[in-house]
Parts: sequence; C-alpha cells; structure tokens
Amino acid sequence: MTALLLAVFGLALIGWLAGHARALAFTASRGVLPRQQGWYVAVWTGLPALALLLCWAMMRPADEITLPAMLALLLALVGGGLAFARLRPGFAAGKRVERIVVAALFAASMVAIVTTAGILLSLLWEGGRFFAIVPAGEFLFGTHWSPQTIEGGDPTAGMGALPLFWGSFFIGAVIAMGVAVPLGLLSAIYLSHYAAPRTRRWAKPALEVLAGIPTVVYGYLAAVTVAPAIRDLGVALGIGAASSESALAAGLVMGVMIIPFVSSTADDALSAVPRTLAEASLALGATPSETVRHVLLPTALPGIAGGVLLAVSRAVGETMIVVMAASSVATISANPFAPATTVTRQIVDLLTGEATFDSAKTLAAFALGLVLFLLTLFLNFVALAAMRRRGAARA
Amino acid sequence: MRRHARRRRAAEHRFRLLGRAAVAVSIGCLLFLLGSMLVAGIGGIDGHFLRGTDATEATRAGIGAALRGSLMVLGLTLALALPVGVLAALYLEELAPRSAWATLIEGSINNLAAVPSIIFGLLGLLLFLGTMGLPRSAPLVGGLTLALMTMPVIVIAGRSAIRAVPGSIREAALAVGASRVQVTFHHVLPRAWPGILTGAIIGGSRALGETAPLLLIGMRAFIPAAPTGMTEPATVLPVQIFLWSDQIDRGFAEKTSAAIVVLLVLLFAMNGVAAWLRHRGEVRR
Amino acid sequence: MTAGTKMTVRDVSVWYGAKPALSNVSLDIEREEVIALIGPSGCGKSTLLRTLNRLNDSVAGARVQGLVTLDGEDVYAPATDPVALRARVGMVFQAPNPFPKTIRENVAYGLRIHGLARGRADLDAQVERALTRAGLWAEVRDRLGDPALSLSGGQQQRLCIARALAVEPEVILMDEPCSALDPIGTARIEELIGDLRGRYAICIVTHNMQQAARVSQRTAFFDAGRLIEYGATSELFTNPRETRTRDYITGRYG
Repeated sequence: MTALLLAVFGLALIGWLAGHARALAFTASRGVLPRQQGWYVAVWTGLPALALLLCWAMMRPADEITLPAMLALLLALVGGGLAFARLRPGFAAGKRVERIVVAALFAASMVAIVTTAGILLSLLWEGGRFFAIVPAGEFLFGTHWSPQTIEGGDPTAGMGALPLFWGSFFIGAVIAMGVAVPLGLLSAIYLSHYAAPRTRRWAKPALEVLAGIPTVVYGYLAAVTVAPAIRDLGVALGIGAASSESALAAGLVMGVMIIPFVSSTADDALSAVPRTLAEASLALGATPSETVRHVLLPTALPGIAGGVLLAVSRAVGETMIVVMAASSVATISANPFAPATTVTRQIVDLLTGEATFDSAKTLAAFALGLVLFLLTLFLNFVALAAMRRRGAARA
Repeated sequence: MRRHARRRRAAEHRFRLLGRAAVAVSIGCLLFLLGSMLVAGIGGIDGHFLRGTDATEATRAGIGAALRGSLMVLGLTLALALPVGVLAALYLEELAPRSAWATLIEGSINNLAAVPSIIFGLLGLLLFLGTMGLPRSAPLVGGLTLALMTMPVIVIAGRSAIRAVPGSIREAALAVGASRVQVTFHHVLPRAWPGILTGAIIGGSRALGETAPLLLIGMRAFIPAAPTGMTEPATVLPVQIFLWSDQIDRGFAEKTSAAIVVLLVLLFAMNGVAAWLRHRGEVRR
Repeated sequence: MTAGTKMTVRDVSVWYGAKPALSNVSLDIEREEVIALIGPSGCGKSTLLRTLNRLNDSVAGARVQGLVTLDGEDVYAPATDPVALRARVGMVFQAPNPFPKTIRENVAYGLRIHGLARGRADLDAQVERALTRAGLWAEVRDRLGDPALSLSGGQQQRLCIARALAVEPEVILMDEPCSALDPIGTARIEELIGDLRGRYAICIVTHNMQQAARVSQRTAFFDAGRLIEYGATSELFTNPRETRTRDYITGRYG
C-alpha cells in the first residue's frame, strides 16, 4: 500500500516536471505560468488514482491489492497523459487548477458535515434496531438496569436506563457543578477584579492547566486517593451506604476538572460587560464587590449561564473518571456517599469484550450513545444561544 | 450611617477573601494532583521502564510499547486532521460564499468540537471496525477515530488565526491582480501559520491524553510487544495507565504514577511549545 | 483656600504607565459654581475629572502625584475611603450608561448600597425626588418598572444624572455629558445644569465652546496635559490672555 502511494506521488511529480518543462518551451504569455501548467498535469495524474484507491480501501479493505493497484497506476498514466496533451501556449492551466483547489477545500470542509451526519445516522440506525427489541418507554423510564444478565431471557427486563440518567445528572450536573461553579466563578472574579497583575499572570495559566490534564489521570486520582477517603468519611459519619464507588468521589474530581471551563467562560462574559457600567457603579460609591454582585454579574448572566451549560455538557459526557471511580451497579439514590453509575460508564461496560454487533447489549450502548449525543447537542445549542444573546445585547 | 459603612467594608473584605480562597483551592488541587503523582511515580522511571513493554510482573513492565503506540496514533491523527482542518478553515474564512450551506458547515464544526469523546468511539467502532472491517486495537483505527475528533479543534483555532490576518494584506494582494486562491495560499496562510500550529498542538495534546474512545475500538488488551505496523495490535500511554490502575499487584501502583508523570511531561512540553509559538506570534504582530 | 472653595487641586500630575497625562495642574472648584474644562482631545481634562473621584484607582498603571482636597481633606490620604469619597463626588459619563435594570432600580441603586432609605415608602420618595430634580419625573412616572434601556438617549442621560443625584453628592463631575445627544437632548441637559447650580459644585468637561460659555462661570483651558489658562468664563472667552487659548476658542486648531 505504501509503495503504491509512493508510486502515485512519484508519477504526479513526473507529471509536474513534464508539464513545467513543456510550458517553458512555449513563448511566455501574460497570466500563464509554467508552474501552473506543471500543477495541472500533476493534479490530473495524482487525484483520480488516489480517489480510486480511497474508494477501494473503504469498500474492500486490506485484501486483494493487485487489481486496484494496476487500475490506479493506469488511471494515473492516462490522466496525466491527457492533461499533458492539452497543454498549449496560453492554455489557462492556472484557472483550472484553482477550480480544483477550491473543490478540494470545499471537500475538506465537508468532512465535518459528513462526520456529524455519520454520528447521527449510525446512532439512529443502531438505536432504532435497539428500540425494535426494547420499547422506548421501557428504556427511558424503566428503573431496573442489569443488561449483563439478560442474555437468553426476556430482553426488555433489565433495560430500564433511568438510574443511568439519574447518575449522570447527579454526578455531572449536581455534584461536579457544585464544585466547579462557585470555585470557577469566584476565581474568575478574583483574578479579573482583585488580583494584582503579577498574580493574574501566573494564576490564570495555572488554572488552565487543570483543563489540560488527561481524564485518565483524574480518574486514577479519584479511584486511588479520593474515593477511599470519601468512603472513610462516610463511615466515620455513620452513613451505612458509604461506598468506595461513591457518586461524591467521581463528582468532586470531575468538578475540579471543570473549574477552568467555568472560570474562562465567566471571565469572557464579565469582561464583555462595558467598562462604563462598572465605572458608573464605582462612581456612585459602590464597593468593588457591590459592583460585581449588583451590576457585573446580572449583566453577564446569560454568558455565564451559557458557560455553565457547556460545562454540564462536558461533565455529562465525561467517561474515564466514572469508569475508574464510579460504580457499575445502577441504583437511584440522592445519597452522595452511595454508589452511582452513569450513561458513559455503562457504554464502556457494555462494549467491553468481544460482543457481537447484533446483541441487545451492544445495541443498548448505541441507544445510550444516542441519548447522550442528543442531550449534549441540546445543551450546546441552548448554551450558544444564551451566549449569543449576550453578544447581541452588547452591540 | 457609620455602622452601615463598617458593615460594607467588612462585606468587601469577606468577598475578597472568598475569591482568594477559591483561587487557592483550585490551584491547591492542581498542586496536590501533580505532587502526589510525582512523589508516587518518580522512583519508577528508569531506562528500562521507558524502553520496556507491558508485562505480567510489575518489575518488568515498561511503557516503551505504549509510547510507540501513542506516537503512531498521534502521528496519524495529525497527518489526517491537520491538512483537512487547515483546508476547511481556509475555505470557511476565505472562499466560502455566505450561504446557508456555510452556516451548516460552521454549525456542525462547532457542535463536533463539543461532542463527548466517547461518541467518537462509538462512531469509530461502528464505521471502522463494523462496516469497514479494519482490525481491532490497531493504531490505524485509533488515529482515524481521533482525527475525526481533533479536526474540529484545528478548524476552530485555524479560523481565528486566519481572521487575525489584517484585511489590508488581502486587499493589497487582490489589488495587484492576485486571484482569491493565490491570496489565500501566498499571503493569508503564511501569516496565519503560527496560530494554526498552536491549535494543532493543542488538538494533538488532547488526542494524546484521550482514553475513552480508544477503549471502545478495542485498545484495552494486554499487548506485550511494541507495534511494528499501523494494523498491528497496539496500546497507547493513557490506556496503559488505565489498564495498570486496575491491577491488584501493588507494584503496578508505582508504575501507574510513573506512566502518568511521563504523560504529563509530554503534554506540558507540547503545551509549552504552543504557548511559545503564540507568544512569538503576538510579539511579532 | 477661600470659604467658597469645595475642592482644590494643587500641582497634580497623572501618569498612565510611563505616559504623562496631566502635569502640574492647580485649580479650585467653587461651591456654587459650574466650572468648565475645555481643550482638544487627549489634553487631560477627562483625566483630571477621574482624578477628582479617584476613578483612576481602578485603571491598571495609573499614578497620581500632588494634592487634591475635598472640604480641606486630602482625597488621596491613606485614611480616605474612595467608596465614601465617591458617595460625595458624583459622576455623569460621556455616553449614557444606565444599568440594564428598571428605571426605578437605576435610581434606587445608590440609595440601597449606601443604606440611605428607611423602608420602601422612603425609597420611593427619594427616587421621585431625584427624578424630579433631573427633570425626568413627568416623563417616567407611569413607567418606573420599564427597562432603563427603553428610554431615549437624552432621557437615559437624565436618568444617569438622577442616579447620581439620588445619593445627595456635594460635587458632580460631568464628562462631556451631551456628546452622544441630539440638540434637543443637549438643550435639556444644559437647562438642567443651570437648575442644579448653587445646590452642587459642578465640574463639566466639554468639547463644545458655546456650551462652556453658556453653562459655566469659570473655564479652564487645557492643552497637552497642562493647564494653559483658568479664569472667569466671560473673561476667558472675550479676552483670553494666551494666544493658544485664543487660537483654540476661535477654532484655529483643536
């Protein structure tokens, strides 16, 4: 395969050189460069062959390489030869190459749409197959979740995902936000309105570092250090349900991870408030904290709320921390010391091992993925709308 | 009146303390995390650890194979995501007609950047393993999956870098008769390059630390040998950390922390380069 | 210091970072007068205004040297609380900047933070008094709960004046208060300044020479961070001592 690619690129290079040399022999004419003629031949040599190879790789991967290889090389020779034959003095190769370049740029930007569509379609497809077996109402509102034990028996029993949704909400939107919102918001306020410039210069990047640490590291910290400490605390407080797979441990660590998301969006929203509003408040004799609480925060509220929603979306989609520190057993409990599980955790658990693509277990993972995708899509949409409204109010 | 003023001063003082405490707690968490990993792991880092492969015994286990796997996956990710991302960013900023279509592309890029990484794992599992039949656990599939995830990050960074190029430069080039494509590639791209590169490094460092989508495409097996090809089974550093964190053998605790230290050093180095590039760009401008 | 002097400025210099904005300025603000600060853009007149209520404190890198007093007390003394100072020295800004709250809440804000109102009825009464004094009461009495941003530009600026008046300041600083308004709005504000004179010491920055001549009793002309000429408005406009002043007021530059 590598050799084949090299051969195609080599032919394209030869095409460039040939086209360039040929064009040099023409008398120069305005607006037509030999270099462009070279590119014209090279593009027609390389592109069709590469496109063919790509299609082949998608449809018949890895096996039977001789036939497509021959075809590709033939296509390269024919394409290059035809292009070469079209070269004339004054032939506007530049325009044609540019049209191809624009098409290539357009194709690159299409990758995003194709990916989005791919995600949506594959989740809808697999999810649809799941809902053909398990009724949607059963799945969304059922409270009994034990998919690992259902093989053979009634597939709809044990497919109630409500405890998972609750766990994701409780860990991601309640506990994690309980940590991240106050810490992130107060940090942003302190660093932008109180701290000396010198403190700000090192403290702001230091906070950002929290967002750059891989989630597997947070997961390890949660599992090894935080979770046992929380369990011991729970036992000391006399809480019977205290577990080493508690919602609290995963949520706390997740909250720390989310701090910089909240603080940086809050910082943006606060600094978008017109300076003269803050000065008007100060000039009336308000203290800095009164100015922040009564003028800056209310004005920046849509932006801050949008940032918090984005943070919730990130927390709900976070996987490694809950895989390593939360529980695999699904229960509905508002006790933070009790074990809890989440949608993301169950997706990983369901797809562990060599499951076939058709089993209800595997399909359930995609159904969960569909719910997660739609939820984060919705949160992001609302968040961006809130943040845009702030932008409109400013203008 | 005087009592009221005193109360206000006290409230001001409390608020300031509260803010300072929030910063202190946040940065304290960071220091605790870094410190505890360093203390637990620094002793486990030696030449054998950096070169070795995974093993059933903690004393013989190393991260050489995982490092190699990480580099292969990261290389493929960037090789795919960087060109596609840069071209898409150039198209959206410089050439796209203002249309509903461009808005749709924009919207899907912004949305992809916020989709949980595990969703990309589901897509990779279905598309690359299920439909295309590529081998499980291979750097090829890992790189493809992470490339889809990294591309939007690069597009977004690239667009803001391209937008920062002053319009006067475009107008100057257009005025001497350059075509839009020539303006884009001769004038805009070179000026935006440091910013694009910064975005690529940040996207790459995110891909380097990513675990969840790779678990879904089968990268969770015990791999006692370094991968030699893109389709061989391989493991990557974050997955290795995840696998070791589950081991009962106490010896692996030190190994896990040591691997985390190595991963963090790599990430900080990448981010340091990105910060340096950005700083240099700001100074020159 | 004469008995009628409210604020004094002695040898005041201000820097923003390394850049000097004001050098060695000395002048007095009298109790029952309007003083106008005029001069070309960037001459330091707004800087002086922001020095008087210590609003420059919140600007990173701003540095003030010299003596500013209010009723003989040093405004920049370590014991002076800028919060208390600003309650006594109110300010109106260049462009109307009402808070994005209701009309009523804009005026009530200062009263609330300073704890100046005893109960709701008292608060309402004080809000009404401030709005009346700012000449806005008749126009907004039926819509106090509407957002302040629904008012016209001129009304917004009078609301900002009412907001400043509500805390009963002794000095009012106005930074080009009419620059964003149409001629009708400008006329209303100028009329209002005439009504307020005598009750408050007023210091107004303006670009408009006619306005300075109409509303003020004294005028100070600044150029490039220095005070060039300072005296009775009638004197300064009809018979300036300095050529630069004459050139500026006759429109030869600036």
